[in-house]
Amino acid sequence: MPTITYHQPSGERTTLEVAEGATVMRTAVTNGVPGIVGECGGQAMCATCHVYVRGDVALPERSEDEDEMLDCTSSERTDASRLGCQIAVGGGLDSLEVDVPASQV
Amino acid sequence: MSIASHDTASTPLPHPSSAQDAAAEPGREAPIADWVTIEDLDRDPFPIYARMRAEAPVHWVPAINRYMVVGFDACHEVEQDADRFSADEEGSLMKRSMGHSMLRKDDPEHQIDRASYGSTLRPATIKNVWMEIFAKNHRTWMDHLLAAGPGADFVWDYAAPYTADNLRLIMGFHSATQEDMQRWSQTLINGTGNYADDPEVWAQAERSSAEVDAAIDEMIPYLLRHPDASLLSGLASMPIPMEAIRANLKMTIGGGLNEPRDVLATTVWALLNRPEQLAAVQADPSLWGAAFEESVRWVAPIGMYPRQVTQATVLDGIRLPAGAHLGIVLGAANRDASRWDNAEEYDLLRPKQAHLAFGGGQHFCAGTWIARAQVAQVSLPAVFAELPGLRLAPPEASVDKGWVFRGMTQMPVAW
Repeated sequence: MPTITYHQPSGERTTLEVAEGATVMRTAVTNGVPGIVGECGGQAMCATCHVYVRGDVALPERSEDEDEMLDCTSSERTDASRLGCQIAVGGGLDSLEVDVPASQV
Repeated sequence: MSIASHDTASTPLPHPSSAQDAAAEPGREAPIADWVTIEDLDRDPFPIYARMRAEAPVHWVPAINRYMVVGFDACHEVEQDADRFSADEEGSLMKRSMGHSMLRKDDPEHQIDRASYGSTLRPATIKNVWMEIFAKNHRTWMDHLLAAGPGADFVWDYAAPYTADNLRLIMGFHSATQEDMQRWSQTLINGTGNYADDPEVWAQAERSSAEVDAAIDEMIPYLLRHPDASLLSGLASMPIPMEAIRANLKMTIGGGLNEPRDVLATTVWALLNRPEQLAAVQADPSLWGAAFEESVRWVAPIGMYPRQVTQATVLDGIRLPAGAHLGIVLGAANRDASRWDNAEEYDLLRPKQAHLAFGGGQHFCAGTWIARAQVAQVSLPAVFAELPGLRLAPPEASVDKGWVFRGMTQMPVAW
């Protein structure tokens, strides 16, 4: 099964086994991983599921909607910034590792 | 928002009595809050919400003929689970007043309508188009307030016309006035909350509905020739049924004017009553965002909206029968003491935490970024910079009112 690993600012690490196609946001919210809010339920509307993706993984390009929303994040945007609702494991991507930012609101 | 009637007048709908269901779904019956009255809620709902939350996260409330969901966790659970809690409420007064808008649809139907709004309300368009228009409208209505002189009403001489003019241009109603927008908004909202079935309220809502339809029909040919960034311009060339366009635009008139108006006035009122917090935000302008977010947490402009239970279920320990009508009371969830210290207080310096004022899940407010921009980025900093001596005149003349919608209804100021 694919896995998603969340690194908290405290250093704490959570690794979850998930189904193909599971998004970083939905997985975190469903499993109570702290630091990811996901207010808008995955519409790239609220900028509260911001994560920093570790490593050089093959993810789909940021859409225009995701890109402008990443300009509205509470924690600083970096080259590694993505919205957790727009990235998923599966389809050849067996694992994802992300850093959870210090704040989402 | 809409309070629909259903068959049982004053008692909870009977719970399905299957023993198997009961075994599979533990939980207790909702307490009956027969002590809650609409008059008390309208004046000051917060002590009522505090008493309800202390007892249970969900109550049956005979006065409004539905369950009220008042706990933060329970409200959040409803918002994130559209399969169990449908927005497509039977007997919705909102549907009667405004038509069947996206706010009363579930996915996938909802998503088609939502997508039809395109990029108009999104941050890039706000930055590239609307910010300049908000600044211009602020100038117009600040000058109007200044001309009215001390004793003018902050709500009616500034906040209402400013937000109405902004919405007019965002929506593309170039042939209408800001006064038209205010009248349409209020009368359509009044229809949405017409539990008393007052024929005069329906007559006014129908008149406004017809005026909005006429304005849409007038503007579409113009906007096809002169496209702009407005909602109506984007919708003009989209394969969406006209009926849905009309309903969605009426919902947006009701949801895009009173709310930014109310958060603007409520925030100014909160700060004028708390000079030390006003001084803090004036010393550090990066706090205007926090002043805004704390304001919508403290007094959510939309205090309650409806949902309907699709299957017998248990919500945060309370059993709900299939078909039950719920009021999701954001105004109560946002003051849940299990989530916020001193939840009843306005404190813009409190630790940041997500609130529910914009709703959540698929119906997360589409106008969130527009509201933040026009209120927290443009208006609030400008108002206090231009009127350093702004004060309530006198403080006891200000009136805050309402529960389904709550805001300042009167707020005389001087400077």
